[in-house]
Formats: sequence, C-alpha cells, structure tokens
Amino acid sequence: MKRLLFVLTIVCAVTAFSANLFAADFNLSIPLPLTGKQAKFGELMKRSYEIAAEEINAKGGIKKQKLVLSFEDSGAKPETARAIVEKLIDVKKQPVIVGEYTSACAKAVAAVAEERKTPYLVVASADDDITKQKYKYVFRQNQVNSHYGDGVASYLKEVAKPKTMAILYESSAFGTSGAEAMVKDAAALGIKVVLKEKYEAGALDFKPILSKVKKENPDVLYMISYVMDASLLMKQIKELRIDLKLFAGGAAGFAIPEFIGNAKDAANYVISATLWTQKLNYPGAKEYAEKYKKKYGDYPSYHGASAYSAMFVMKDALERAKDWTQDKIRDAMKATNLKTAFGPIKFEDKEGYQNQNFMDTFVIQVQKGEFETIWPKQYKSKDYIYPIPAWKDRK
Amino acid sequence: MTSPQLEVLLQTIIAGLLLGGLYALIGIGMTLIMGVMKIINLAHGELMMVAMYIAYVLYSSFHIDPYLSVFLAAPVLFLLGVLLQKYLITPVLRVDAIIPENQVILTVGIGMVLSNVAAIIFSSDYRSTPVDYSTKAWYLTDIWKGSPIELSLSMPWSVSFVFAVLITVALWFFLAKTDLGKSIRATAQDKDAATLMGVNVGFMRIVSFGLGSSLVGAAGCLFIPIYYLYPDLGGQFTLIAFVITILGGLGSTVGAIVGGLILGVFESLTATYIGMGWAPVGRFVIFVLALIFIPGGILSLFKRRR
Repeated sequence: MKRLLFVLTIVCAVTAFSANLFAADFNLSIPLPLTGKQAKFGELMKRSYEIAAEEINAKGGIKKQKLVLSFEDSGAKPETARAIVEKLIDVKKQPVIVGEYTSACAKAVAAVAEERKTPYLVVASADDDITKQKYKYVFRQNQVNSHYGDGVASYLKEVAKPKTMAILYESSAFGTSGAEAMVKDAAALGIKVVLKEKYEAGALDFKPILSKVKKENPDVLYMISYVMDASLLMKQIKELRIDLKLFAGGAAGFAIPEFIGNAKDAANYVISATLWTQKLNYPGAKEYAEKYKKKYGDYPSYHGASAYSAMFVMKDALERAKDWTQDKIRDAMKATNLKTAFGPIKFEDKEGYQNQNFMDTFVIQVQKGEFETIWPKQYKSKDYIYPIPAWKDRK
Repeated sequence: MTSPQLEVLLQTIIAGLLLGGLYALIGIGMTLIMGVMKIINLAHGELMMVAMYIAYVLYSSFHIDPYLSVFLAAPVLFLLGVLLQKYLITPVLRVDAIIPENQVILTVGIGMVLSNVAAIIFSSDYRSTPVDYSTKAWYLTDIWKGSPIELSLSMPWSVSFVFAVLITVALWFFLAKTDLGKSIRATAQDKDAATLMGVNVGFMRIVSFGLGSSLVGAAGCLFIPIYYLYPDLGGQFTLIAFVITILGGLGSTVGAIVGGLILGVFESLTATYIGMGWAPVGRFVIFVLALIFIPGGILSLFKRRR
C-alpha cells in the first residue's frame, strides 16, 4: 500500500511538473479519413502526426505551448471534409489547417481555407489542380501528379535506353492520366509505344493481354495499377515467362510493401516511381521510420513521412510568425525553407503552380524481396540491376 | 498463321478454359437454386466472399492450405445456406407481397448485410493467401525441348480447375444416382407432381439452397489462391453467375457447365483480340444475345435438332 502511494505521488508530481512546463495548449484538429476505403491511409497519417507531436512536445512544444492534436473523420467525403474545416475555422478559430488525404477532399478544404483566408497545408493529395487555382493560402508539400514519373523517365533515359515500350493501365482517372503522361515522356525520349491497353481494375486473368505483350516483345513494360492488380500482373508475367529488359510500375500498387508480400519472388527486379523511402538520406527519415516500425510493426509509406514532416513545417512557420494571426502565419509559411524527414521543403510559384514544393522523385527496385532506392544516383541505397535476369535463370 | 500468333491463340484458349471451369462452378450453384426455387439468388457472390474469408482466416491463423479449406468452407456454407433458406427465404415465400418476386429482393438484402458485416470484421483491406506455389507453372519447352512455341500452364489455376471438375462430376452423380438427388430434380421439374409423389418439397428447397451455397463456397476456396479478396467482391461474381445461368438455360446444370466454359473462352478471346477493357462489355453482349436468341439456353439448340 505504501509503495502504491509512493508511486502515485511520483506520478502526480511528474504530471504537475510537466503541466507547468507549458504555458498553454495549442489545439490542432486534423481532418482525415478514418473510416471507409481510404481509412488505411488516414490511420497511417494519424499515427505519424502523433509521433511528430510527441517529439515536438518533448522538446518544449511550439513557443512553449503544448501541441495537442485531435482528429476529425471525414470518411474521404469532400462534403464532410468541408463541413469539418468550416467548423474548425469559424467556431474553433483554428488559425491554420493541416491534413486530408484524397485529392477530392483536399480540393474542398482548399476552397474553404482560401475563402476564409486561413493557411492550409496539403500533405498527400496529388491532383495537379489543387495548387493551380491561384490560391494564396494553400500550400502543398508533396509532389504533384504530373511530376510523379520524373524519376522513372530519367532512369529510362540514362540507364535503360529502351526503344520500344508497352503500357498497361487500369481504366480509372488515375490510370488514364498516368498512361497519358508516360506516352508524352516516351515520345520525348524517342521510345516507340507498341502497345497501350487498358483493363478493368479487379480483373481476374491478365494472361490473354500478357501473351499479346509477349508477342510484341517490347523493351519495357510500364504498368499503372493499384494494390492487388499489380501483384496479379507480376505473378502472371512470371507464369508466362515474359522476358523483357525492364518491368516498371507507376507508383501506387507497385510501391507499397503489400506488393512484395503478395507477388513474392515475382516482384523481384520490378522498378517503380515513389516519393519517399525510409532509406533516403534525409535528416530524421530513418529515425522516424524505425520509430514507426517499432510502434506499429511495419514501415510507413510516403504518406506517413509527409504527415510527420508537416507537423515540423507547421511548427517552424508558427515559430517564425510575428503573431498567430492567419496572415502572419501565411507569410511565415511562404518563407519556409526547411529540411525535413520528407525532404527539403520550400514553397515556390512556378510552372503555373502556387505555393508548391517541388521535390525529387525516386526510382525503387525490388531486390531480394526488399525495396531499394536505385535512382537518382546520389540517393541510391543499392546499385540498380539492369538488364534483369530471365525468368528461367532465376531460382 | 505464324508460330507467335499461334502461341497467343493457344495460350488465350488455355487461359479461357481454365477460367471457364471456375466460372462454371460458380454458375452451377446459382443454376441449382434457380431450378428448384425459381428464384435468382443475388447473394450468390457474397456467399462466395464468406467462404473466401473462411479460407483466408484458416490460412492466416492456422496455415491451412486454401485447397484443404474447401472441405471446411463447403459444409459451413451449406449450413449458412440452409439457415438462410429456412429462416429468411421460406417465410418470405409465404407472404403475399405487393412486389412480385420479393424473395429475390430479399437475397439482395442478404448480400448487402453479408458484405457489410465482412467489412466491419475484416475492414475493407485487400487480403490474399500468398501460397508458395502461386506462380508455379508447367512449360511446354521443358517437356518438349524442340517445341517451336512456348505454352505455360499455371499450377494453381490447373489445380483449381481439376477441383472444379471433380466437384461438378460429384454433383452430377449425386443428382442422377441418389434418391435425394432425384427428388431435387423432380422438384425442379414439377413442384406439384413431386409433392403428389410424396417428395417433401420444402425440405428439397432447403437442401438445394444449402447445396448451391456450398458449391459457390467451394468455388471461393478455389479462387483465393489465384485471386484476392475484399468485402465488396461478391457483386462481380453474382453477375458472372447470373450470365452463366441465363446462357446455360435457367436451371440446367449441364447448361451451366457449357455456359461457364463458353463465357471463359469468350472473355479471354475478347481480351486478346479486341482489348481487355472490353471483356466486361463482351460479357453483357453475350447475356443480351442469349436472352434474345436462345431464351432456353445453349442446350435448347441441341434439343431442337433432335
């Protein structure tokens, strides 16, 4: 009993002490999808925001204020996201908005934020339009969709130098726009597109279309697919023993750990575009990834890294802002020049974008069942393997 | 025809037949229920989804091979089918409703409930059973060294196909040779006559709904090594089963087998020679054409000639 009392006193003392450490609480509500189809990404980001807030508070908070996070579930529905943000700005008088995931929601939130002159930091929504609306108060730290494949294009140009290419893509907005971008890139690089076929996401059997690819025998096969189609495609490519010089994926389904988990050895040597990996040489990237893995058992994807870094971008801006009015915060944001775990962040106006952070995109290759960064050279974690071995010669 | 072209054609037909065999198994379950009960079971794909989750849980928690889980999932699905028929569909059959065929609408509701329950329990994440043999295949050039063309035969697809054929044969034997099977067929042919002959029609309905469910359940277990799974997967397979049932002639088991194979081969050929985006369109073109020109199903063509 005595011991229990002792422990209790200590706990009380510690809490009292730590409460004294902060002058006040800074409450920040973050809208993101915690239910519905996108819930997985919302969860990932929520955890990352929390890790960042913990670190910030351990180091004295933001201007001696404790960062207190809360989350609002938008269910990936733009109208809900809109309502949440209206409430945050009008009722809770929150001077800055961070969050959301899908492009549709981010668009809705951006419109509200701009209308109410409140700075909004977009974390992981890729649609080009969001920072092309001449908005003054909307900032985006992740790369835009049309620059997503830059890394792959440069890899093709410098290393693979293919002459012919086949493109398979799912018949959605995401797949179609990705395929169009690749056709343009291919034309610029002088690559002939010999086959361009779309398929319905969720298809069972890709073998007919793949035997056509086999007949055309292009140098490169470029595929734009979500999670499960990506692994089915590679599995069936292995079954048919289609030997090309290179298999490339346009991020999404090809750049997440589930791809390797499902396709297993068929995933080897496949390259893909990506925005971030934990093996990058950015300050804190590795520490964040390890911390996340220790806590939740899996490495985070770029969504998490972006969310984690967003907290530091916001902290940095709030610390530099003269006072915490919306306009002063906006000016501070605009002047951001910060190296984060997600990469260097600087909001620029160019190519018709406003307040957009432009960053390198990377090429990863699956080697021995793990993602390795292979391109651009200065970021590589392993050398690229090209050309890739034939299916027959693999064990 | 040059050898690369021949290779594409043969590979396409192989893929189509393998797919068709699995389609047939999905279709047979629906056909059986259709024949005996005269209703289309629109929760068919969702029942398959339930079986796939059973196989998934058995694999991820106990490392039981999905093919072995057929022997557990099929009986469980039989039970589920029996319960659905006994406590949900039979009571609705008895009610005089404003809308005709209200049992069909009931099955839609059952399907929605099943997929939403699955979403609550397992979340909407994609699941799969990454078995070691999932990309194993046999190659023609390995067997016949001098072969001018290369063909491959996927091991899990072939195993699933063989399983599907065995199940179908067993079903045929059951329907043709056993007392219970004969009674089911009698009920399907003429409900009133069967009743007069002393067949317990209500019981037959329960058995055939259970049997139909367990067939599609078995199909689910055969699909999971080559596909993946998520709570909303049912709808697309319900549609496939529906097309096969129409194509095969409502209620005909042999028709469903032929219908499944035709649909599989047709889809593969469309994917190769027209474009893969067109495969779902092709499926419904077949559906509409079958309804207009061969309302009795494919087998009626042969019967007419006789």
